[in-house]
Amino acid sequence: MDVATSEVAGARSWSTRREGKQRRMALVSPWMNGKFLPQKKIVEALETLLVPGDRVVIESVQKQADFLSRSLAKVNPKKIHDLKAVIWAIARPDHMEIFEQGIASEVDFSFAGPQSLRLAQMLEDGQIKVNSINTYVELSARMFVDLIPNAVLVCADMADREGNLYTGANTEDTPSMVEAAAFRDGIVIVQVNQIVDKLPRVDIPGGWIDVIVEGDRPYAKEPIQTRDPKDIKELQILTAMMVIRGVYERHQVTSLNHGVGFDTAAIELLLPTYGGKLGLKGKICRNWILNPQPTLIPAIESGWVESVHSFGNEDGMEKYVAARPDIYFTGPDGSLRSNRVFCQLAGHYAVDLFAGSTLQIDAEGNSSTVTKGRIAGFGGAPNLGSDARGRRHPSAAWLSLITSDDAIVRGRKLCVQVVETFKAGGVPLFVETLDAVQVGKDAKLPIAPVMIYGDDVSHVATEEGIAYLYKADGMEERRAAVAAIAGVTKVGLKSTAKQVKALREKGVVAYPEDLGVRRSDANRSLLSARSMKDLVTWSGGLYEPPARFRSW
Amino acid sequence: MTFEITLSDEVLALSARRSYIELNARARALQLLDDGTFHELLGPFDRVESPWLPMQGIVTQSDDGCVVAKGKIDGQPAVVIAMEGKFQGGSIGEVCGMKMAEAFRLARLDNEKGIPTRAVLSLESGGVRLQEANMGELVIAEIYAEMVALRKHTPLIVVITGPTGCFGGMSLAAGLASYVVMTRQARLSMNGPEVIELEAGKDEFVAADKPFVWSVNGGAQRFATDFADVLLEDDADAVTQAVTELFRKGQPAQLRTDKYELFIKRLKFLDPAKQWVAEDIRNAWKAVAK
Repeated sequence: MDVATSEVAGARSWSTRREGKQRRMALVSPWMNGKFLPQKKIVEALETLLVPGDRVVIESVQKQADFLSRSLAKVNPKKIHDLKAVIWAIARPDHMEIFEQGIASEVDFSFAGPQSLRLAQMLEDGQIKVNSINTYVELSARMFVDLIPNAVLVCADMADREGNLYTGANTEDTPSMVEAAAFRDGIVIVQVNQIVDKLPRVDIPGGWIDVIVEGDRPYAKEPIQTRDPKDIKELQILTAMMVIRGVYERHQVTSLNHGVGFDTAAIELLLPTYGGKLGLKGKICRNWILNPQPTLIPAIESGWVESVHSFGNEDGMEKYVAARPDIYFTGPDGSLRSNRVFCQLAGHYAVDLFAGSTLQIDAEGNSSTVTKGRIAGFGGAPNLGSDARGRRHPSAAWLSLITSDDAIVRGRKLCVQVVETFKAGGVPLFVETLDAVQVGKDAKLPIAPVMIYGDDVSHVATEEGIAYLYKADGMEERRAAVAAIAGVTKVGLKSTAKQVKALREKGVVAYPEDLGVRRSDANRSLLSARSMKDLVTWSGGLYEPPARFRSW
Repeated sequence: MTFEITLSDEVLALSARRSYIELNARARALQLLDDGTFHELLGPFDRVESPWLPMQGIVTQSDDGCVVAKGKIDGQPAVVIAMEGKFQGGSIGEVCGMKMAEAFRLARLDNEKGIPTRAVLSLESGGVRLQEANMGELVIAEIYAEMVALRKHTPLIVVITGPTGCFGGMSLAAGLASYVVMTRQARLSMNGPEVIELEAGKDEFVAADKPFVWSVNGGAQRFATDFADVLLEDDADAVTQAVTELFRKGQPAQLRTDKYELFIKRLKFLDPAKQWVAEDIRNAWKAVAK
């Protein structure tokens, strides 16, 4: 027995990853000056540091390591091929080129907004293999279990001479990506905008970094959550008024997260005006999980908001955030510290409510952003928009969703879908069957790509009214409640006056008049800011909107 | 812990201000006319609608996107014509254009009869309505003729606040006015940004670059280069006040259309081989002040 064990122990090296990394790093060391690689050597370095079949994380959500992804698209596919890519958001044409050339052949991803159509086509043509569609935080978690990277390609604002990184307001996922590689002998390659003598603060220690290269231009970034108040419509204002009364006030929601879109931006802009008139200041909407969205500025300035923790940054908010350290999470240098993993965790376990929009809801309340011919993925919404069954701490809002008298019960997170019954161009939002079902079949996915499952949705709000789905008894009543607020869509037309009356009496459905909301009050003059310029005024000139949001 | 919240004067002013941009066409006419004097001509219940749109599967609007209202401004008889930018982009079709031309004609007849009737045109227009373009172009010619005839009797004021702005045929109508009132948010030009980009290419004009677009055709630039006479914040009461004051001032010493020699001189000052920016145009206008 002793002999057998010692033989096995002797035969096996326990540090193959470390030795492999040392071997690869030694090959590029002649080009390097410490940790620093000359910009023009990057393609050659990637060809040397990677080997076919490696799992490579390419940073891309709001900020994108685009110099590195563009460089990866230039490597010789004869040398480097069949990489397994892990990409949070497939957002860039160069991401697709990497697959078209066979440099990478498989992908695990979360979101594919602008590239969703091309992705579906490439999948059909067999140019790419989608291993799985994940949520953001699932990818973060899986980097430590079954998607452990051989290399990560990330980006930072600045590096100092020791290789410490400043990721500042756009920190997002860089620390977790670097951690997953650095502590399991993966190679950490960083593109930086600038190399400086002294950093404003250290976000990631230099000891975790292997290769630093200055990008040919600052990394690309998207203010994905910024919405221009001028595009908020009156139906959205009506719905927002109902949500404030029928959900936030009724359930005493103090901690929350808002999704991306005009529906929730309308709620943010109504707090100081409509919410103020209802005397709700200090009673609701105090602690937020949200990017530094400019539409929250009026609520902050009017004293509604105690804290905001952020997934990422919104461009142009830097000076405002720096001037409001009591509200935002900032470093001593004044700049925002975002962190998607922590923010997603907070959104899952610590806040009482998620409110967000979607592209399709079916008759049972399931929702998806995957529509015909597009594999769009979901980002963070499935985690933020689901009940956290591991949660144990109570709050008034969480407890208010208990509907049984049993001795053992659990509270529930409020998951509110805020939508219009029809999208732009008269396309119905409520459908009999989600497009996701067919898309899933076509793409041979093992399950249909559903964003939020109906049994996680506690409320659906439209311009017609609010369905309190958590109160519905059984599937039939749930369907009737969804139909009652689905307007003149095919789903909505199944609703009968008798059903609606019963549902309203039982409190499973509420229409504006049941909530004390006057339809005629819903107009744009109720918004605390009606334009980007108004938001700039509210911020005392500190908010500097990106060019595409400015008309001056 | 509670904090004393102090909002800045600018925010308080913003919160107190009623927006003109947010008002629909009917509310704009109500806003411009003295309280209790609003009387709509050919209102929505007269159901004079475009006969051409249904043939093309487009839902009509009962006022065809144009509200004509009689009433008083500063106690004097007045007519207000307000375009609705949200209906078909404020486009000029046969019905809405004819309502406009006819309102100007009736105002002129009143003036000729000795009833001094003023006229305000509140514009939100992308130009002629392509679905009925021939009729639209014809009626736009009638509008111009009636405007020229009417302004012999009374100042004719054009208000452009946005969000749509004023393009195409109606941009020339603005040129015929005695006075043009604009906000910073408003835009005024013959061709819309997308059209210029399509025709001349992205090297010439980037329609998605909003700061650039507004630097060329936005209210501030139009005011600085003599195409607008008053520049306002988006404030409904300020618009009413500006209109009232302009009527009190009476006709300008020289109409804009009579200053064509000056504008030609200014254009000649610019080198067409060079790509101009907004600042160049302001400088040329300053250099040739008379």
